[in-house]
Amino acid sequence: MSPNVRNRLRDLIPVLLFAVALWFLPDLLRSWSGRASVSYLSLVTNGLGLAVLALSWDILARTGQLSLAHAAFYGAGAYVTAILARLEVGPLWLGIPAAGAFAVLLALGLGVVTLRLKGIYFAIATLAFTEVLRSAVRQLPTSFAGGSAGMNVAPLFRPAFDPETMERWEIAFLRNEGYFLLYAGLLLLTIGLSLWTRRSRLRPAFTAVRTNEEVAGVMGVHPARMKLLAFALSSLSVGMLGAIHAHRVGSVIPEGAFAVSTTVFALVTPIFGGLYTTLGPILGAGVLAGIEETLKRNLADGYLIGYGLVLVLSILFMPRGIVGMVRGIARRRRAARAGVTSEGGEA
Amino acid sequence: MDPILILQAVVSGVLASGLYALVSVGLALAIGVIGIVNFAHGEFFMIGAFLTYQLFVSFGVDPVLSLLFVAPALFLLGAVLYRTTIQYVLEAPELNQMLLTFGIGIVLQNLALLIWGGDPVSISGIAYRSVGFRIGGISVGLVSLVSFAISIVLVGSLYLALSRSRTGRAMRAVAQNRIGASLVGLEVNRVYLVAFALSALLAGIGGVMIAVIQSPTPTIGLAFTLKAFSIVVLAGLGNIRGILAASLVVALAESLVATLVPNGGTLSNAVFFAIIFLALVWRSRRTA
Repeated sequence: MSPNVRNRLRDLIPVLLFAVALWFLPDLLRSWSGRASVSYLSLVTNGLGLAVLALSWDILARTGQLSLAHAAFYGAGAYVTAILARLEVGPLWLGIPAAGAFAVLLALGLGVVTLRLKGIYFAIATLAFTEVLRSAVRQLPTSFAGGSAGMNVAPLFRPAFDPETMERWEIAFLRNEGYFLLYAGLLLLTIGLSLWTRRSRLRPAFTAVRTNEEVAGVMGVHPARMKLLAFALSSLSVGMLGAIHAHRVGSVIPEGAFAVSTTVFALVTPIFGGLYTTLGPILGAGVLAGIEETLKRNLADGYLIGYGLVLVLSILFMPRGIVGMVRGIARRRRAARAGVTSEGGEA
Repeated sequence: MDPILILQAVVSGVLASGLYALVSVGLALAIGVIGIVNFAHGEFFMIGAFLTYQLFVSFGVDPVLSLLFVAPALFLLGAVLYRTTIQYVLEAPELNQMLLTFGIGIVLQNLALLIWGGDPVSISGIAYRSVGFRIGGISVGLVSLVSFAISIVLVGSLYLALSRSRTGRAMRAVAQNRIGASLVGLEVNRVYLVAFALSALLAGIGGVMIAVIQSPTPTIGLAFTLKAFSIVVLAGLGNIRGILAASLVVALAESLVATLVPNGGTLSNAVFFAIIFLALVWRSRRTA
């Protein structure tokens, strides 16, 4: 086997296994835990959503852009599908790709305008953009977008109840299963986008733009083009995520759709899991979704404190995340066995 | 449009600018001297406000007196945070510094939410809170006026201290050239500590004022971080005199929009953030 094919397989096999596991998970949960599987499925779905949020944020971060606008794309996606559903143009599901497309357009617009901003300035500008967008949505006519009270969003799945063969809770299960599969599909799409930027020529290009834009330009990489591409890829998934979520919870309000906490989740998770990797954000999402659920049960206001602590502690003690730490340990082991000290690059 | 109304908006804007300048100057100190963009700066402000509230509710301490407690408490908080966290990321990439302070901000905000809940709190029943003057149809609150005066005096003193006092000159030396400063015998880390703690103290004093003027919630911090940051950017990094002017511009814009535009109260924040956004973008185009 040529090394190229072997590398492809090394990506493909774990992704396929993951996809198969996701496909069978709902039925496994149902046969294990019966009625309780309704809420388990919902928890796992939250975790998948967090993974999409984190991984898509990370794709943008690979070009060195620390965006605080993730909530903007999420909220925009939610509103696009909600408005389309209210206007009743086309089938409901059409709102989801439309939300993705709108988020991409929005990201390209924002990207072009903020192209020259770096570091903290970029971060603040994107945060300000989110706040402006939130206020703008609130000012839209109430008949069109619901104003500050928000509006209802029709559910995507309406499983029919058949009293002969089903129990009551199974309706909720079927509905949750539908959203679970949508989230899973979106995560797989995001993984695909992420792997594409990691395994193609985009990887050195993104890294060059992140480390030194001028040098990247000299080497023939077009920094502006790379940044915009990353922005578009990153916003596509979040926009669709916001849309699916809106259908799932059944309503959108400006405060919720554009909440700062969405941005916080999006950036803490990859930092905790391991920046600039595909596995890191997903791993981080799994752990953090568990922590969040525990905290949410015990604290009403202020459960976000867990995210703050994880962020602070990760930066201080584990700046390369779980993945970076594990790789570091593995590398040191290998080096110790070989009896040499090696300096490996990031992977 | 009623000229009295416009004049009233201008007066309110001018008075509000003092508080903005006070909070922003603290942030400018952290950015200018240490080179840390502190995303948790507004949380110091928020904590100042809630300490004042708690002292009032628990012990009946007058907000003016509570300054004597809140100011040192915030100085201490700043010093402790510097020693336990900030100190370790001075050499780290900018991204890590930013995220660290962002994390500290989230922790502080949610700690406050856990303690005080999400609803606004207000200090009621102090006689001077409702005292005001009317001059030719324009009303001026005593508290706003005094807060403005205190803010301007504090910002002025900081300016003088930076140019005259030993510590202030040490800060400027460290800000200009860290290695050079340490070569001539300045303890850089100590200077940083004092600068960071002082920046927290200034924000805390602003918090005492907001506790009396408004009814704050634990989530006001982030908005004030952003406002302070945009003022610092408008002023140009490290320019204290510019901060007074920038605060005035921002506060006037906010106040005028809130008064002149129908339904402007909810819009004034959006205008504010639009100003930040445009200022940043405009600057980036001009320098490139």
